[in-house]
Amino acid sequence: MIQVRELTKTYSDLRNGQFVALSGVNFDANPGEIYGLLGPNGAGKTTLLRIMSTVLKPSGGSVNIGGYDVVKHPSPVRRSIGFVSNNTAVYDRMTAYEMVSYFGKLHGIESEALEERIEGIFSRMNMNDIREVLGAKMSTGMKQKVSIARALVHDPPVLIFDEATVGLDVLVGRALLDIVADLRDQGKCIIFSTHIMREVERLCDRVAIIYRGHVLAEGTQEELREKYGENDLEELFFQLISQHQEKAELGKVLQS
Amino acid sequence: MNRLKWSNVKLILNREVRDQLRDRRTLFMIAILPLLLYPLMGMSFMQLAQFLKKNPSRVLIVAEAPLPTDPAFIVDGKITSVPPAESNLLIVDYLENQLPYAEQAADKASAIIDEGTFDIVVCFPAESSTESGTTGDDKPTASGEISGKGTADESQESQSQESPVNLVASSKPLVYFNAAKDRSRIAYERMSIAITRWQRSRDELASAGQVAGPASTAPIRMATLDLANPTGRRAALWSKVLPFVALIWALTGAFYPAVDLCAGEKERGTLETLLSSPAERSEIVCGKLITIMLFSFATSALNLICMALTATFAVRQFAGLANGGFQTFGAPPLSSLAWLFLALIPIVALFSALALALATMARSTKEGQYYLMPLLLISMPLMMLAMFPSAELDLGTAIIPVTGVMLLLRNLMEGEYRQAIPYVLPVMGVTATCCFVAIRWAVDQFNDENVLFQDSERFSVGLWLRRFVTDRSPTPGFIEGFMCGILILLVRFFAGMSLPSPTDWNSFATIAALSLVAFVAAPAILMAVALTTEPRTTLALKPPRTFWSIPAAILLAICLHPVAIALLVLVKTMYPIDIAALAPFEKILGDAPLGSMLLLMAVLPAICEELAFRGYILSGLNSNGRTRRAIIISSLLFGFAHGVVQQSLIATVFGVVLGYIAIQTGSLLPCIAFHATHNALGICFSRYIPGLLERFPRLDGIINTFNDGAATYHYGPPVVLGAMVLSAWLLKWFKRLNFEPTLQDMQEAAHQSVHAMATQALPQ
Repeated sequence: MIQVRELTKTYSDLRNGQFVALSGVNFDANPGEIYGLLGPNGAGKTTLLRIMSTVLKPSGGSVNIGGYDVVKHPSPVRRSIGFVSNNTAVYDRMTAYEMVSYFGKLHGIESEALEERIEGIFSRMNMNDIREVLGAKMSTGMKQKVSIARALVHDPPVLIFDEATVGLDVLVGRALLDIVADLRDQGKCIIFSTHIMREVERLCDRVAIIYRGHVLAEGTQEELREKYGENDLEELFFQLISQHQEKAELGKVLQS
Repeated sequence: MNRLKWSNVKLILNREVRDQLRDRRTLFMIAILPLLLYPLMGMSFMQLAQFLKKNPSRVLIVAEAPLPTDPAFIVDGKITSVPPAESNLLIVDYLENQLPYAEQAADKASAIIDEGTFDIVVCFPAESSTESGTTGDDKPTASGEISGKGTADESQESQSQESPVNLVASSKPLVYFNAAKDRSRIAYERMSIAITRWQRSRDELASAGQVAGPASTAPIRMATLDLANPTGRRAALWSKVLPFVALIWALTGAFYPAVDLCAGEKERGTLETLLSSPAERSEIVCGKLITIMLFSFATSALNLICMALTATFAVRQFAGLANGGFQTFGAPPLSSLAWLFLALIPIVALFSALALALATMARSTKEGQYYLMPLLLISMPLMMLAMFPSAELDLGTAIIPVTGVMLLLRNLMEGEYRQAIPYVLPVMGVTATCCFVAIRWAVDQFNDENVLFQDSERFSVGLWLRRFVTDRSPTPGFIEGFMCGILILLVRFFAGMSLPSPTDWNSFATIAALSLVAFVAAPAILMAVALTTEPRTTLALKPPRTFWSIPAAILLAICLHPVAIALLVLVKTMYPIDIAALAPFEKILGDAPLGSMLLLMAVLPAICEELAFRGYILSGLNSNGRTRRAIIISSLLFGFAHGVVQQSLIATVFGVVLGYIAIQTGSLLPCIAFHATHNALGICFSRYIPGLLERFPRLDGIINTFNDGAATYHYGPPVVLGAMVLSAWLLKWFKRLNFEPTLQDMQEAAHQSVHAMATQALPQ
């Protein structure tokens, strides 16, 4: 469903000159599975997902989603993904219903089918009581629900969640994870980026650990535990990161 | 680019409009403010007028002798010529027989007015009684408190001639007031009316024979008759005010929604939501642009309508109050408004696209607000230019953006259609071009992820400068190239101001050479050496891809010479040159030896200007591969660097040709050859053509004379046409010099990149 090959992204940055946000990232994700991207803040997760959602262009490498390349065919890619990020806010001066219906219409869904679809999503996600609430008046949890509803309105085969639980309380966060798990069971291919180990342990079928634009390890949770001989995912994460840092410092010393 | 899906554009447009209408601030700006503003302004004007009327003026009237009594000017401390209803507006202190007063009247009046006890001092000097009644001078002698001295002296002289026995005050007073003080000025206006009326009634009595006096001294009266009909007068007034108001509001009305629609969406995080939706970026830009246009138009139209309504209803009352003089200030004629709305559409499109592009650049609404000022600073002078009384619609002004539209509008509103029609096409053409460029800019901004997703990184000038030096790239980037152009313009401007103006050929040569080398070539060379690792590539100082391009460039310059001369004549007719200002230069150049003149004005500029404009600047601007844009911007900078409008226009056109040659040949040498040939031909043409024509009158068919005060020569149409055909053919030859890299280029590039990688990767 998703193939990421040798994906690279560099920015020019005032402080550091060329800044490498992603360097040679590779992975595959399949329908009916949740693929976790685990990494600290600033690891390059958001950049990666923005490239997948065609909002940014890669500096090198390729991403293929549902048979379409994100650079050559951005339109069909956008039609087959639903993107939920903490950067994709809801409109302040629109109600929940208007917001979801607006994006449904942009996807070209006929109005009757759209109405049916929205009713279905709203009742499944218990959103009927916020239907007429303006975005500005919503709580963070409500906003996130609207965002998910917006991403689901065209029933995309691929869903991308970028740090979707940030700022949510335990109850809402848990409800969100249930929704994501439910979507996987419907056969969606889900990319789920987070910096919280527990979410990965609970949800993800396969994980890539990202640090400073590099994928340090990739596989199912069992594979990772076996390969690195470490049962605790958090410990494993720290090990990998400190190893990478040591290597990087050694490189610097060698260069100078 | 994918085809625009209008259903999506409509969806986005509807959403944006609804969004803006739900925003209280926007609604206030576009609807409530104009509804309230003009009635409020009208009301406060009326209040102010009442306030002004209620303030009486304090007048000191000093007569050196008794005032003439036919009729009396002052009775019981009141001026007789003032209607009873207004008499309480003048509080009069009257002193009689104050001889001598006129001598020091100016000093005394100045002190009194400064003190504030009186607003105005009126002095009636004494004269001998035989002359009384003869001075029927209608206007009182008005004098400011300082300049009043001259008049006082004059009256002193006349006074000294007469005998001090039988005195009567002249009916021609000296009036002292201070124009810098509003109260004093109002007092002057009131008094001058009163005095004039009194003098007129004296004249009437005199002509009725009731007063003995020679009738031959009747004053010459000026009759004023306004030939315009009231509607025409109103149209003339509104045609100056309304376009300005309309444009200002169109700009404001475009800017605030634009900031909210772009910077605001970025700030609130909804832009990324929209970008990841199936809407294409072009559709998003289009939807937003139309929204901004709608609001800009609505703001402007509402303001105009409210202003017109206020004028119709409120001003009528005001006019009654203000005792005439305001009759011309009625409602604007309907035809004026209709023209205004029609012309508003392209202007709204232009302002909206500019506002959209600027607002897209901003990261936050706060940053967006900052961009309003530069936009205003650029468009205000263009609007003001059209408001100058001397500004008239001609081809020159028609092709100035914004100004042209305003002038055209003025003519249309005044009903001068015959004068306006020929310029409709040029004005619309220029406006459409500007619109197109602005919209392209906005679309570019939207496609640039650096613009859309730039994080607010902490900016420090030190780091920024250091990066230029430490992270030197082989050739300069877009910003460096552009900055070099701006630097040259600034340096030339300020240095040009401080340099002395030349008096003879030697000083002219020194100054010209200095400014070319130091202010044009030096910045480019220094920047190339300091900021790039390959100054030679940057300045394109290498042999051209084919040697033949150098003779081809020279040939092209020769072929384009008649075209250049024709262009010069065209430009001169559009923007006439002030011949008197040029005379000293012409004299200096006329005396100069040809050899050194060619060296100084053909070869040196060719080298210096090419190094800067086709060297550093063009390679910087071209660094992102957008060649056409790079050529146009570099030639605009080249044009601006020429200072004089007429020269700038031609330089811009030839800058495009030079930029094209530079890109196609990959070398500066053909450009230098072209530039030097072009300049040299220009010099020789103006120097030798008059003599040649005298000697061979047959040349008259080839070279025509064009007279704009001083004779100017240009080639006949067949020559120009032929030259154009040849030039086109040569340019086609340059086009075939494709800038695809040769095998050698590619090998060189590959070698260099491998070398660079190796030096970076290998630890030493």
